[in-house]
Amino acid sequence: MDAAPLKEHLKQEGATLVGVGDVTIALAHDIIHLNRGIALAVNRGLGRETIEMLMKLQKAAEAWLKEQGFRTLLIPPDSDRIKGKYITKLYKFVSHKTVATCSGLGWIGKNGLIINKQYGSKLSWATVLTDAPLEADSPVTESQCGDCDLCVKHCPSGAVTGNIWSRGEPLKSIVNYEKCRSLKKERRLFEEKPNCGLCVTICPYSRQVRSGK
Amino acid sequence: MADEAKKKEILEKLKNSVIQYDEDTCKEAANEAVEAGMDGNEAIFDGLVAGMEEVGRLFEAQEYFVPEILMCADALYAGLDILKPHCRQMDLGVKGAVVIGTVEGDVHDIGKNLVKMMFDVSGFTIYDLGRDVPLDKFVEEQLKTDSELVCLSAMMTTSMVGMPKVIEKIKAKNPDCMIMIGGAPTSKELADKWGADGYAEDASNALKEAIKMVSFLKKLRDEKASKQK
Repeated sequence: MDAAPLKEHLKQEGATLVGVGDVTIALAHDIIHLNRGIALAVNRGLGRETIEMLMKLQKAAEAWLKEQGFRTLLIPPDSDRIKGKYITKLYKFVSHKTVATCSGLGWIGKNGLIINKQYGSKLSWATVLTDAPLEADSPVTESQCGDCDLCVKHCPSGAVTGNIWSRGEPLKSIVNYEKCRSLKKERRLFEEKPNCGLCVTICPYSRQVRSGK
Repeated sequence: MADEAKKKEILEKLKNSVIQYDEDTCKEAANEAVEAGMDGNEAIFDGLVAGMEEVGRLFEAQEYFVPEILMCADALYAGLDILKPHCRQMDLGVKGAVVIGTVEGDVHDIGKNLVKMMFDVSGFTIYDLGRDVPLDKFVEEQLKTDSELVCLSAMMTTSMVGMPKVIEKIKAKNPDCMIMIGGAPTSKELADKWGADGYAEDASNALKEAIKMVSFLKKLRDEKASKQK
């Protein structure tokens, strides 16, 4: 099934990038029938507006697919913060990063974030899973960070290990989130926004874009 | 009073929005029902629950799987939240309160939550103890609230073994209390052996059992209504 009309539709609705991936290898048993992942990305600053935009895009994708009799499961952009619903139990089984790599939209960089060749790590993501047999894009399976280690050098908490991501080695630790979090905690005492975000801004792929506002 | 055609349309919309796990439409339909002055109980039972019955059937036919059921449940709750304040006190001869929870050592609560939902639509008062609940807490809570029903859930054989202890303690203090157990490792035989009154195998079966129970209530209500005519 041709995915181009859906992608076109979502881009017109405001998506920066849309990819379709075969996510069969990454799915838990209970959701294995929804083996196409649609990765949606928006290149705006992380904020309420961006999240609302992504939710709107998800709904647009859902409406499009349901109209043709297919099923969908929406994984919202801030899935870790949503509580109190039944379906939230399943959110943790799907990672936006996995869907993005399966859709060929980027690799997981040394900074632990998706790096897209055009937009770097300055993207916010949402996912729609579906059983529609959409034609899948070819996945990215290896890191393309190469020798670049700017994020390793500049991380103020020393959390970036420098390990290189590969789809074949899913258990390798890339970022020490404990260290990253401890810095956040420190910063929260005297700053409103505790995220340092250096690993995003230092990435050469990110630096080539100005945030689209 | 809402006219019949409009009423039927709204009920159909409620039902389909649950089957289609469409929260927004379900809210919309629930609001329409309220505006049209429909009876909240009718909207819940003939709309939302009717939809959930079909969802149960689709699950059995292996058309729907766990994620769909969960999303349907979310849609149902979206409608229920709106309709609940507009319900008359149900008069079915079953005044109900239930203590429910997943037993100590176990954090799996999808099945428990689905069962809770069906109690919720039936107008039971629910004392949800959550998951990983110390065994004595069930006994205490039952005594404190004087609930007619206690539901125990477990997903693992290691946590399941706590169930007979709870059953024994509750029955010793309050022999009239009904106890239902559920979860993958439990069975009809175990339920009988431990002296439990009801049993459901897993989340979907729990849903089915709970639907059966609610359908039974619905039947009672209909019979009562027809007698009054």
